[in-house]
Amino acid sequence: MNPYILSILLFGLGLGTMTTFASSHWLLAWMGLEINTLAIIPLMAQHHHPRAVEAATKYFLAQAAAAAMLLFASTTNAWLTGQWDIQQMTHPFPITMITLALALKVGLAPLHAWLPEVLQGLDLTTGLILSTWQKLAPFSLLLQMQTSNSTMLILLGLASTLVGGWGGLDQTQLRKILAYSSIAHLGWMILVMQFSPSLSLLALMTYFIMTFSAFLVFKLNKATNINSLASSWAKMPVITSLTPLILLSLGGLPPLTGFLPKWLILQELTKQALPLTATLAALTALLSLYFYLRLCYAMTLTMSPNNLVGTAPWRLPSFQLTLPLATTTTMTILLLPLAPAAMTLMTI
Amino acid sequence: MSLQKMTRLRPVRLLSSIHQQQLLLPSTTALSVPRRSVIQGEYRRPGQPRENKLPWQKINFDFSKGLQGIKKHFALLKKEFFDRWVGPQGKPILEHMLEQNRVIWEFRGPECLEQWTLSSDREIGGQSEIYLKLGKNTNTCFLYGTLSSVPPRDGETRYSGYCTMRSKQPLAAFDRKEHYDWTSFNTLHLRVRGDGRPWMINLAAETYFSHQKDDIYSYFLYTRGGPYWQDVKIPFSKFFLTHRGRIQDDQHPVWLDKVNTIGFTLGDKADGPFQLEIDFIGVCKDYAHTEEFAYEVYKRNPEV
Repeated sequence: MNPYILSILLFGLGLGTMTTFASSHWLLAWMGLEINTLAIIPLMAQHHHPRAVEAATKYFLAQAAAAAMLLFASTTNAWLTGQWDIQQMTHPFPITMITLALALKVGLAPLHAWLPEVLQGLDLTTGLILSTWQKLAPFSLLLQMQTSNSTMLILLGLASTLVGGWGGLDQTQLRKILAYSSIAHLGWMILVMQFSPSLSLLALMTYFIMTFSAFLVFKLNKATNINSLASSWAKMPVITSLTPLILLSLGGLPPLTGFLPKWLILQELTKQALPLTATLAALTALLSLYFYLRLCYAMTLTMSPNNLVGTAPWRLPSFQLTLPLATTTTMTILLLPLAPAAMTLMTI
Repeated sequence: MSLQKMTRLRPVRLLSSIHQQQLLLPSTTALSVPRRSVIQGEYRRPGQPRENKLPWQKINFDFSKGLQGIKKHFALLKKEFFDRWVGPQGKPILEHMLEQNRVIWEFRGPECLEQWTLSSDREIGGQSEIYLKLGKNTNTCFLYGTLSSVPPRDGETRYSGYCTMRSKQPLAAFDRKEHYDWTSFNTLHLRVRGDGRPWMINLAAETYFSHQKDDIYSYFLYTRGGPYWQDVKIPFSKFFLTHRGRIQDDQHPVWLDKVNTIGFTLGDKADGPFQLEIDFIGVCKDYAHTEEFAYEVYKRNPEV
């Protein structure tokens, strides 16, 4: 892509998110979300492949519907309460509508249907931007709203963890697996949002780091389905041995970083007298863990009987940057000892 | 006077008169552009008799068929539910990883012929014929017929003469579309015995959200005739994009994760009988084939 156009689009992405972060008026927040949507559409469709165009179209339709619902709900709130402030929402009807609109924006079940197909049509870099950066702005709005509809948020959360685990079981395409993983993780974040927004933010940040690592590993392997991961042991043995740790961190196993948000969320849910919710969330996390384990199995724990064609991959160095992967992999694997600091900071 | 006429009409007739009026509204498109529906599923195959039934006359209520349908669809749904526990698409992950060949269609009994649809230019008024039956030993399918390139006499068709066999779209529970996922493979492997005619293999991917409706990826199948079987292996990187028979400028490799149907078309302008015997159609992974796309993807109208 023309570097000027690329820089304008990336700048637009940053501007949109920052506008939403900085806004206390619903219209400005909506404007930031729209700038985000519009800026990422050309990035998605840049390859002009029909599936990329399909992904861009589906993304646009879902996000536009969510933005329209958001606008309608904020207007209704202004009508009912006389003000546009994000943090002063009191009437339950606009709050519910806005929560659903933001759930559609972010891809929470049952409004998740667009996410796997959209991620499947994109290349891995744009998919990474979609999975990480595009979640920030709606999340900031969800965090700021004083939600009184606890049942709906719990239901959204449980449905997301269930659908994320269940849907990922049937996939062999890596991007769809990461989409369902995104749905599941967002479910965990939504579960605890009304009790401890800072825990939600912690979960989001750890999810970002873990997803970053996962996407970068797949990008280095140029792999889009499980079978193409099977030959990575020959090309990059060290990354192949570290990737199970990244995937198990995504699955939330101790002593890896991914365990931290899950543990704290379960603890918070239990303290809030929701032990059944906590149990259900933990059980549905097992489904996600199964498909992460499957990826580990295919990639690292088995040696594929099929060797690569020729010896070129060993001889020719790869020109892809590995510093981001190194940083995020270290953070994905080793940040659990920061748990006491996280607990003091996040659970005040 | 008109008021009495209105009261004499029964309510049903009133509805039909409104319906008729809607059907008789003149089309706003020009006559040279034939009206075709854009939404998938509304297409009426040329040659099928036009159904003049009103919507409420098309209802065909049969209780036992309904029960059978419910049983069949719920059984498919249950299978889909439990298949997930075995692995993706019902196969354990080891099978996905180790799979190098998969036979998609083979012809071992009359029920296999139900998966295929035949058509020829008889539908537009031509004179070609095509038939499908099981071959001898019921191990193969035998496609035969006569090609005739005499154009139909409707004043606008100039060329004619085609025969085609196309697989039916696979359906999941409740008639949802299911797609073939061939991403682990990169070659199409057929075992055919033809009569020397050149056929065209058409792969149709899912075009509802992407592509135009009739975007099809095609490649040639040259049969060699003779009593010996022919193993044809065509890499998927060789398939080029066509739309209603015309090769498109904007080419890209076929994405194999949502393949709907495969078809064989004969249109080589040589009148006369033809025969094609197919043993099986499968996909395989050829590790020696590293080509991503066989055709140059160049930039038209480059900036200077």
